[in-house]
Amino acid sequence: MSVKCPVCGKAAKSGTAIDCARHMFGTGDKAHRAWFESQGLSYIDLLLSQTTEPGNKAYVTVAELIEKAQKD
Amino acid sequence: MEKHLLRITVNDRDYELFINPKTLLVEVIRDHLGLTGTKRGCESSSCGCCTVIVEGMAVKSCSVLAMQVDGMTVTTSEGLEKNGKLDAIQKAFLDNGSYQCGFCTSGMLMSSKALLDENPSPSVMDIREGIDGNLCRCTGYNSIVRAVAAVARGDYREDKQ
Amino acid sequence: MKCNVINTPVHNVDGIAKVTGRATYTFDVTVPGMLFGKILRSPHPHARIKNIDASAALALNGVRAVVTGKDTLGIKQGIWRRYKELCDEQILPLEKVRYIGEPVAAVAADTEEIAEQALDLIEVDYEVLPAVYDPMEAIKKEAPEIHEGFERNINVTRHIEWGDVDDAFDEADYIREDWFRCSGQAHACMETRCAVASYTADGKLAVWTSTQSAYYHQVLLADVLGLKESDVRVIAKYVGGGFGGKFELDAAQFCSSVLSMKLCKPVKIVFTREEDFIASKRRTPMYYYVRTGVKKDGTFLAREARVFTDGGAYTGMGATALYLTGFFHSFPYKWRGYRHDGFRVYTNTLPSTSMRGFGTPHATYCSELQIDLIAKELGLDRIEIRRKNGHTPNYEVPGQATIASCGLEQCLDEIEKWIKSRGELPPNRGIGISSYGFMSGGIFNRFDTPYSFSSAVVTINYDGKVDLHVGAQDIGQGSNTTLAIICAEDLGVRLEDIRVHSGDTAECPPDLGAWGSRQTLMAGNAVKMAAGEAKRQLLEFAAAQMSPNIVYDLDIKDRWVHLAGRPERGLDYFEVVKKALRGKDGQRIMGRGYYTPHRKGMISPAYSYGVQALEIDVDPETGKIKLLNCVTAHDCGQPINPLGLTGQLEGAISMAAGYGFLEDIPIEDGMVMNPNLVDYKLIRAPDMPETEVIEIETYEPEGPFGAKEAGEGLTNPTAAALATAVLDAVGVPIKELPITPEKVLNALKEKKAQ
Repeated sequence: MSVKCPVCGKAAKSGTAIDCARHMFGTGDKAHRAWFESQGLSYIDLLLSQTTEPGNKAYVTVAELIEKAQKD
Repeated sequence: MEKHLLRITVNDRDYELFINPKTLLVEVIRDHLGLTGTKRGCESSSCGCCTVIVEGMAVKSCSVLAMQVDGMTVTTSEGLEKNGKLDAIQKAFLDNGSYQCGFCTSGMLMSSKALLDENPSPSVMDIREGIDGNLCRCTGYNSIVRAVAAVARGDYREDKQ
Repeated sequence: MKCNVINTPVHNVDGIAKVTGRATYTFDVTVPGMLFGKILRSPHPHARIKNIDASAALALNGVRAVVTGKDTLGIKQGIWRRYKELCDEQILPLEKVRYIGEPVAAVAADTEEIAEQALDLIEVDYEVLPAVYDPMEAIKKEAPEIHEGFERNINVTRHIEWGDVDDAFDEADYIREDWFRCSGQAHACMETRCAVASYTADGKLAVWTSTQSAYYHQVLLADVLGLKESDVRVIAKYVGGGFGGKFELDAAQFCSSVLSMKLCKPVKIVFTREEDFIASKRRTPMYYYVRTGVKKDGTFLAREARVFTDGGAYTGMGATALYLTGFFHSFPYKWRGYRHDGFRVYTNTLPSTSMRGFGTPHATYCSELQIDLIAKELGLDRIEIRRKNGHTPNYEVPGQATIASCGLEQCLDEIEKWIKSRGELPPNRGIGISSYGFMSGGIFNRFDTPYSFSSAVVTINYDGKVDLHVGAQDIGQGSNTTLAIICAEDLGVRLEDIRVHSGDTAECPPDLGAWGSRQTLMAGNAVKMAAGEAKRQLLEFAAAQMSPNIVYDLDIKDRWVHLAGRPERGLDYFEVVKKALRGKDGQRIMGRGYYTPHRKGMISPAYSYGVQALEIDVDPETGKIKLLNCVTAHDCGQPINPLGLTGQLEGAISMAAGYGFLEDIPIEDGMVMNPNLVDYKLIRAPDMPETEVIEIETYEPEGPFGAKEAGEGLTNPTAAALATAVLDAVGVPIKELPITPEKVLNALKEKKAQ
């Protein structure tokens, strides 16, 4: 099943949650940022961890949340 | 503080001044004599903007007390030109575009002149080392090196007579 | 087109003044009755000012005045005047200091020594506040607030995007992520910041100062002092270097003006070299994250980048550096999808701002080093991968920029040839390459009008000699010469017939001045228009005199007014002028010109391009780098002043290579650790490589005589070429500037361990 962005409904070609997370980070406008905050996360903190620590932790965290939101 | 008498010849002109003995040579040149061609760019004798020639030698005029050159002969960039005729090094700087903002130029001219007076046929590395004490933020030095090399090559020889 | 003056070797119009010591800089200005000012600076990186007691200082014999924030209008100013929230700096702050070295009070006294003694007698009561020095720390939740109302200390954010980035990444065969760190850099102009302000009882203020834009300072000073712009006269005849550091209002200009207004006496303030290092501004340090997706064959698909810039204590021009690093990180390549997020973060360090290249040397370094790493990984040729993806003439960067002329491909060809000619290199020697591009002046203008502008006035005198008035500022880059050449060429006279007037707001038309590589194109176009207008008036008269057959146009070349098709039929230029002005009751021929870019996208009317190759030796024992040869293939459109162009190139290499491996501003607990020219290392003559420039001539339709930017963009490639050269020589990518011996050695050790 293809995962859709919980804010704008856009689906990545690969349909994976991790690519959906990339899209959400990358867009980063007010609406997308508000979603992070509504999940009890801080957009800036996630961005910071993603851009300063090796690996993909922030994307994985968000991907898991997106999948969860999709199921609900 | 007690003032001391300084006798100094700058650009072929004799001066007698009463100065505070702590006065630097550059202060005498700029503030007392009003020869502002000589600049200052630091407080650590690292930039070379204040270079003048004292008795044939390039000297950073911020690093000597004026009293240390009492009785001596000093040349600044204003003294290179003789009767409206530019010195070879000045012509070479013009032809090679060896200046941009011009703030280091006076010091650069004096270091180059002293270098050529001491060693009329310097190698490129001799030239680079000869101006090692002079900072320039604009030109990247290579045009200055070309100017000095042109003078050394004799491109301006007829001017020397 | 056949030119008489353009692209011929000439002496700069200010050459004689500069080689004879006659050029008078602000540093040399003396006004009768002048007092000397000194500035008291904060020893704390972040503190509330509770009280300032200057009574002991005022009691000192020879002290004439002490001023603090309370003696000012308290106006928060900034160079982004149209965005009030970004005007965040009171040069004498009323409440808080935000970096070590921030001005707190200023003294005027009979001598510099007395002013200095007085500083020690001023008592300031501070409440020290917690401080933060790194953007990655300052952005954290628990970080102290530096300016009220800026959440997480984020000063400005920028988002640039085109194409479908996510889709483009989906198609990538290879994706690479890297982290880079770029240091700050001091402008280190040989003339430190300085000003002489003279306010007189008629309400007029004259300020001699070392500036890149007399007009900017006229307007900014009027703003903060509550004066009419026309009552402020700014004079800057000779400027000892600028490099992006001298077009914001500085403490020398402001404090000398405030003191002079209080005393009605001239006051001079000259920054010491230490003050220039700790309390002026600097190149913006940046943290860069770059993710790039490419096809197996090396086709670039998508790039996503995030940058966190260390803004220091105030905005200044730093917001523009954030914007430009975002755009030029894409340069000079085509991307199907591109996304750049920038964050400028306040810290308790000296403010960061524009410096030659304006965010682009950083962007180019991160981009070019990563491209080489991608090429290596995929086994592709590094020239080929650049050729495959490079900009081409008439390319449009989606929604951002329209490019007309572009000689990138020819530049790559030339550099490829040169690299081949070097043959097999000895061990530990390498050649690095970097492509680059830059704007010819920004279209945006956050200062006053929506678009940037330039203007010029050309006056032909009775004797045929020409006065050229420009608002453009010569800061050593030679703009007066370039503009005089353009004027002489268009008018058909010789360079020695032109006298340039610049650097004085009382006599020159307004112009945004020298920044963003704008003058050759923008002021150049204004001069060309003004000269064209003057010429038209003269030719109208000549046509009446010569009454040629209607099919002939008239022209002037090398002081000869003639029929365009039959140059043998003509009149002497000086005679024509004399006759034209006879009976004109003292009027002279005048032409006015202006330029504002239209319909050229958001960034710039035209772009320079180039490729640089840098050959170096790396000593694997010490990690030391020796620069050997630097060859640059460069498309700046039609060169105007070839000697000046070479000078710009070589100067840019020395500054940009310095940025690449020598220069840095380490800050510990808010304190600059190397505020002098002994510890702050600039390139000196023996360190310079041999340099060669290969001009790729293109014709830029938007530029005067086809010219575009030729000085600032040259600062962009060298740090990148240095990094790729180290990669080529010893196989390690150094992802942090400057590339010090220590970093090279550590990387080599790590490589060995693997």
